[in-house]
Amino acid sequence: MKLLESIKKDFNTMTWVLIPVAIAINVVIGQIVVLLKLPVFLDSIGTMLVAVVCGPWAGALTGTLSNIIWGLAIDPSAFPWFPVALFIGFVTGWCAQGGLFRNTWKVAITGFIVALTAAAVSTPISVYLYGGITASGSSIITAYLLQTGRDLLTSVLSTNFLVEPVDKISTAFLAFAILRGLSARYLARFPRAGNATPEKDDRRALFIGVGIFVVLAILVANLINPAFLWIGLGVAVVVIGVGLLSSRIR
Amino acid sequence: MVIVDLQHVTYRYPMTEQSALEDVSLHIEEGEFVAVIGPNGAGKSTLCYTVAGFIPHFFKGELEGTVEVAGVESRQASLEQRVRSVGLVFQNPFNQISGAKYTVFEEIAFGLENLGVSRAEMPARVEQVMALTGITDLAERSPYALSGGQQQRVALASILVMEPKVLVLDEPTSQLDPVGTREVFGVIRNMALRGMTVLMVEHKLEWVAAFADRVIALENGRILAEGTPAEVLTDERLLEHHFGFSRYTLAAREGRKEALWPPDRRLPVTLDEAETGFREGLRRP
Amino acid sequence: MRERLSFYIQRHSPIHRLNPFTKLTLAFALVLISFFSPWYWTALCLILLVIFPLAIIGRVGREFFAAALRLLVPVTGFIFLMQSLFLPGGETVLFRFWFLRVTLESVARAFLISMRIFGMVSSFILFLLTTHPSELMTDLTRRGLPGTVAYVIISTLQILPQMQAKAQTIIAAQRSRGLAVEGSFIRRVRALVPLVGPLVFGSLVEVEERAIAIEARAFSATGPKTSYREIDDTPFDRTVRWLMVALVVLSLAARFFG
Ligand SMILES: Nc1ncnc2c1ncn2[C@@H]1O[C@H](COP(=O)(O)OP(=O)(O)O)[C@@H](O)[C@H]1O
Ligand SMILES: [Mg+2]
Repeated sequence: MKLLESIKKDFNTMTWVLIPVAIAINVVIGQIVVLLKLPVFLDSIGTMLVAVVCGPWAGALTGTLSNIIWGLAIDPSAFPWFPVALFIGFVTGWCAQGGLFRNTWKVAITGFIVALTAAAVSTPISVYLYGGITASGSSIITAYLLQTGRDLLTSVLSTNFLVEPVDKISTAFLAFAILRGLSARYLARFPRAGNATPEKDDRRALFIGVGIFVVLAILVANLINPAFLWIGLGVAVVVIGVGLLSSRIR
Repeated sequence: MVIVDLQHVTYRYPMTEQSALEDVSLHIEEGEFVAVIGPNGAGKSTLCYTVAGFIPHFFKGELEGTVEVAGVESRQASLEQRVRSVGLVFQNPFNQISGAKYTVFEEIAFGLENLGVSRAEMPARVEQVMALTGITDLAERSPYALSGGQQQRVALASILVMEPKVLVLDEPTSQLDPVGTREVFGVIRNMALRGMTVLMVEHKLEWVAAFADRVIALENGRILAEGTPAEVLTDERLLEHHFGFSRYTLAAREGRKEALWPPDRRLPVTLDEAETGFREGLRRP
Repeated sequence: MRERLSFYIQRHSPIHRLNPFTKLTLAFALVLISFFSPWYWTALCLILLVIFPLAIIGRVGREFFAAALRLLVPVTGFIFLMQSLFLPGGETVLFRFWFLRVTLESVARAFLISMRIFGMVSSFILFLLTTHPSELMTDLTRRGLPGTVAYVIISTLQILPQMQAKAQTIIAAQRSRGLAVEGSFIRRVRALVPLVGPLVFGSLVEVEERAIAIEARAFSATGPKTSYREIDDTPFDRTVRWLMVALVVLSLAARFFG
């Protein structure tokens, strides 16, 4: 079966040894970021590394186990959020399979797609499990949006779309920088090393950068008027679509 | 009986131009202790991986010639089959801890679990190798909370418990302090005395001279010299190729210039030989 | 500098003696019941009448309350406060304050959600305090969890403290070289790279050797594997598990038909 083979392909002994290291990287960098009081999480760098060089299934497993470890060793309230981590790993791997982790602008697109996925997946968890207001600082934005008369679902979704892109694009860039620092010889041991083969940047980088910036601006405007949420998402789809088409990837 | 048989082995790692091994032929008899010496990058580790089956199975790349262990050619054997007959211990003790277990006892049993050895058989086998490697009293400790020498003996025990036919040691003491080095060599001597077939890469020539039946000097992936320790470790070609000599050999070589060493006597490779030689040299008029 | 590997506290207690899978089932069942049950006070009752007593019986009372105080009280407190203040809706206005309108309904809802969260996290804390990760993994492997997954979890739990210690060393070293981990936003962003770089590359480089080491121990052998450790599973364990399943089904039924 094709699916089973694709899953199997992700896992060799190097994968099984890389995953624990990647999870430890997630946790330790996550904690350093807290120490530095930066307004991002950056707790899925390891997940993205595995997803790129081993594949989407390995990425999904790394994300899931990363949450389980966080729950086992640090704070059990991490458990229910595992689907978000799972999708971050899977989608990163999926994008990388399509060649979207080879130069800066492609990595930005990957980060952006991952952010939208993460926002979408975390919304139902936050609404149905936590009643929309979780313990994270971004809940203040949700609370504000609720006061402007929006319903719970839209408020949470708007908040997530606002918060996730910055974090996930930074994460993707950091993972990319780490991959650039590793030798091709070393990477070759992993099952999908080809996904990390570098490519030259071109002028599309600028276009995509501006596009993402515009989307972010529209999403911020959504704080004033809810209609901007849908406009923002529409523009996001266009930017991603153009990016994908221009790199001839389906 | 020949247990390891390499014929004209040439090997190139993936994505490299130069061969790491070049036309290497090597035969090891059952129960023989063979030491490999050579400068950095000579291909010593590559040779170890070849004998242990990690080349070609783990490293891929291009392998020419034949590599037979216990009568089976590497390309015909799976890595699992190879691992059952060849045990590999290498430099860094810390990286050889599996991470799968919380106690030394279970760490040693990890290989047996993977091989599907029955539960009833495990305790006796683990206790036996712990006694052999002198770590019985560490059984309940965490493998992470040990000294380098202790960790390396745990690594040795973890391999020995799987009862390999050949033991491959790649610079097993290069990251240890003098105490750890002595502990680990104590275990290796034990193994040699019990008739284990050993292939050991080692820089400390005094130890090589003490254990080895045969020494192979490797350079640039080729065999430069091969023979008994006495022959190889005093071969002047070694100095030309920057291998260095042991301090006993060097001392006697200097002594010969000052007429302190008998001119007709072969240079020594062990402390005992050096002592006898110098005594004789000093007694002469 | 030895850091804690997990929450586990070694004690002798009836809870410690339970099969790990039984305790896992118990934790999940408590969570599901508190979310499914239509009765408003379920979560609070489970906390007071089941989780707290079990923590005492498990002889981890002090550790349990310490962990709950550290991890749960601030979080549930925050959630309760924010939701009471900001969740819209409700008729019975308790008080108005500035632009806020706090109703009895939103306070009641906030209380329900905070209690559920409290119950969920504290039942897992109880589970973790009384279950050694290695025993859990051994037992789950016997029940069909792939050995490789168990390997990943145990090995991460052992690597993590080492990495944290290494991170602390690097932070201290970089600080003494004048790296600012405080200060303006830009300076803190700049501090990230010299802290993270050595840590990440150092640990990634070791991966290849570690893979060789576990391969040498027949990690990817294809035959059936055995386990040295054996975890007890008594008829009592099985009874408890089925009871839990029954209670979850019952609470689900009560929600839809009750
Ligand atoms: N994984 C690898 N990929 C490519 N080349 C390698 C690899 N490992 C070693 N080499 C090269 O092979 C040669 C022999 O290396 P090695 O066997 O490690 O030497 P030694 O153990 O004697 O120091 C060196 O030139 C080294 O650069
Ligand atoms: Mg070497």
